[in-house]
Amino acid sequence: MLSALVSGLVVGGIYGLLALGIVLVYKGARVLNFAEAELGTFALYLAWWGVDQRGWPWLVAALFALVAVGLVSLAFERLVIARMVDASRLSVAVATLGLMLLLLAIEFKVWGSGPKFLAAPFGGNAVSLAGVFVTPVQVFAVLAAAAIGLGLTTFLRRTDFGLGVLAAAQDATAIRLMGVPFAKVSAFTWVAAGVLGGVAALLIEPSIGAFAPGFTLPLFVPALAAALIGGLENLSGAFLGGIAVGLIDQLVRWQFVSSTVPGVQALVIFGLILVVLLLRPGGLLPAPRGRHA
Amino acid sequence: MTPPTSLRLPLPRGKAGALLVLAAFAILPPLLGRLGVLTDFRAVMLGFGACYAAMALSLNVLMGYAGQISLGHAALIGAGAYASGILTGRAGLPMLAGVVVAALVGAAAAFLVGLPALRLRGLYLAITTIGFAVAMEQAVFRLPWVSGGSAGVSLPRPAAGAFVFTRNPDYLALVLVFVLGFWLLDGNITRSKLGRAFQGLRENEQVAQAYGVDVSRYKLLAFVISGALAGVSGALYGHLLLFVESRNFSFLFSLTLVTFVVVGGLGSRVGVVVAAALFGIVPRMLTVFEGWDLVIGSALLVFTMARHPTGFAGALREAREKKAAEHARAVQGGGPAAEGAVPAFTHAAGARLAAADAGSAGREVVLAVRDVRVRFGGLVAVDGAGLEVPKGRIVGLIGPNGAGKTTLFNAISGFVAAESGSVSLRGRELAGLPPHERALLGLGRTFQTAGLARGLSLLDNVMLAQHRLLGYATAPALLRTGGVARAERDLEARSREVVAALGMTAHADLPLKHLSGGQQRIAELACALVTDPEVLLLDEPSAGMAPAAVEQLAERLRELRDDLGRTVLLIEHHIPLVMDVCDEVVVLNLGQVLAAGGPDEVVRDQAVLDAYLGAGFAAKTKAAEVAP
Repeated sequence: MLSALVSGLVVGGIYGLLALGIVLVYKGARVLNFAEAELGTFALYLAWWGVDQRGWPWLVAALFALVAVGLVSLAFERLVIARMVDASRLSVAVATLGLMLLLLAIEFKVWGSGPKFLAAPFGGNAVSLAGVFVTPVQVFAVLAAAAIGLGLTTFLRRTDFGLGVLAAAQDATAIRLMGVPFAKVSAFTWVAAGVLGGVAALLIEPSIGAFAPGFTLPLFVPALAAALIGGLENLSGAFLGGIAVGLIDQLVRWQFVSSTVPGVQALVIFGLILVVLLLRPGGLLPAPRGRHA
Repeated sequence: MTPPTSLRLPLPRGKAGALLVLAAFAILPPLLGRLGVLTDFRAVMLGFGACYAAMALSLNVLMGYAGQISLGHAALIGAGAYASGILTGRAGLPMLAGVVVAALVGAAAAFLVGLPALRLRGLYLAITTIGFAVAMEQAVFRLPWVSGGSAGVSLPRPAAGAFVFTRNPDYLALVLVFVLGFWLLDGNITRSKLGRAFQGLRENEQVAQAYGVDVSRYKLLAFVISGALAGVSGALYGHLLLFVESRNFSFLFSLTLVTFVVVGGLGSRVGVVVAAALFGIVPRMLTVFEGWDLVIGSALLVFTMARHPTGFAGALREAREKKAAEHARAVQGGGPAAEGAVPAFTHAAGARLAAADAGSAGREVVLAVRDVRVRFGGLVAVDGAGLEVPKGRIVGLIGPNGAGKTTLFNAISGFVAAESGSVSLRGRELAGLPPHERALLGLGRTFQTAGLARGLSLLDNVMLAQHRLLGYATAPALLRTGGVARAERDLEARSREVVAALGMTAHADLPLKHLSGGQQRIAELACALVTDPEVLLLDEPSAGMAPAAVEQLAERLRELRDDLGRTVLLIEHHIPLVMDVCDEVVVLNLGQVLAAGGPDEVVRDQAVLDAYLGAGFAAKTKAAEVAP
């Protein structure tokens, strides 16, 4: 049970980061970014290339991968999203789906379908914490996810530019009048989404040990559920939603590990989505002040 | 002049054409197969294309026509495949039984997916379909009694007469025949009230309701029809693969299906079939490229969306419409529907009421509103307002901005729920009825903004407006029986007359967005009039009209009353128009009725002047009047 809670926190942090990426892009472009999770796997391949083929230290390779995936994301925003301002959001969503398929195709073409192994950032034996064995990598994942989630939300709340990003979804004209160019906001949301996807993938990989094309795809739906719990537009809500979905996911798996019904966690997540949308479409967090109608 | 032609394959038309294609689909693949021209490999490849086309047609009903985004369609397809597999592979029943049950299972599953759609829209609805798809793939399709304990289900193919479906060319013929059936069904839907109602709820649910379309019913109907088709296409796909497992129906496959219909062009059966068939066939021809085909294909997908967000069919349609719109402008440059002219509604008004009825029998109240109260959270928008609209009269509803006029309209027509009070039409209480039922009882209305289905053509709008006059049921519509075809032909002829009477014939087949704001207003009035409502609620008909047109509008409104005996409740900001045409005027302020009576007495009412102009200003004007 306790170990399920620990892995729930690890997975939850990952879901939280991906949910942040989903929410940011949604705020800027009003669209679900289907490529969010796969951007992470792409970064993972780049990091693997750095460590395995070039012999770089993990940290250098990871930074290289994050910068690269941020640039891929930026290029997509400039070349595709920025040109689709007037297009139906469904068409934009299909374009992000195209990006996901493109990343997958490149992974298959360049690196093949076999599993790759990326050495953990650091070793170290599991330590016993209140009777549960926890690896340093797990601790690192939880702390890093929390630090990034907190850092990002603080940055966005405390700076003018950040407030512009937060307001983008409400009114693109208003933020322009505030002196924040929408193009910069949109570019920022995509770079951040790419980097968040990359961080999420880099943090979850050591817990699993190997990866292949489409490695992070299964994380998309839980991350989406997490974003939804936060109300799709609320950053801290999305991150907390990620933790909640991670805990639920791992507890359900632990509870039903020997059940004859497969995929119970998928049923639970579907139920969660339905309940949130039908009963509290604004998310489960209390509505911020001033939003009471 | 040349009417805009729609995008069509160069096939023979009508029943003869369908029979010809049927014969070709049924005979050619087996024949070519037996001659050795159509190899097994090629037949399977084409089979994928055909199955994808069937799936795309099924999704097109839901997304293309009804505008309900489903990102979990693979789950419905999978439900059909598993149902057929369990019946044929495990229970040994014939494939026909499998296909029928697949349709039922797909329809039932889609009904369940559609239930949240009654409360959710757009992205939120899409997310529930994602959750559903993942739950089906990871849980339901892996249940031991579904998957048969192993990892999947096998779907055998039967033999029937000369056709041996275990041979791939023969099976291809079977799939193609089904695709033809889907294709014809699609056409029957779009050429009936079903298709118009679906498109109406895609374009603007409120407008559809005002025309008497039961939005909940048609939403669920779109899900059910789409689900039945998805189930059948799943069964066909399963019997093509011979064996299915849960990952055949992954979330990624759902997204791929969405790609087919968006790239092909939502709502275009040619577009989605071509796109789906290409997606099914081309990658299997390009395997020699060893992975580059996927890289290039997905890059092309991104590029296509960035350049042509409405898909292939959409891009072609827009180009064609642009040309036709220019043509229409050229034709009608100085015609009666030129900017600023309001044509007579006498022809638009359908069956004519005996004008003698009007005004003769004293004051017969048609619409009575009493003590209506509407609250939005803490804000009371309408606070105990009441009014009466006598038969054959025009009653004006005026008041400053925010007085609650439109909210009162919405409460009368059922678009917002009144907290208390009563609305009765000819003595029949309307409180609690949904908007479309009020429309069916004879309450017609227009909207302050965008009161039409803007993506539909003018003709389709006029036809959609007459939804409630079409009594035929769903099943005959899907099969397009003789009666349905006749009713539709009559309706179209009548509607073309209405369009002609408006002087907008050249615009009849163009989407409304190509009409000017004033022309759209007129079209909206015509649509509201065409079904002979007992009472017509008009929400600022003069908004967006040129000053000269407003005068003509006044004349038309008088004609409506004097010649056609119509009863009208009119919201207007244009006070001279109100003074000119209204028999009685009701003034609303802060949600309450401030004054009511004849136009002359109302505008002299001190409370009305205060509300409109502010007490100080009114006093000053008075002083100025007295001074000299």
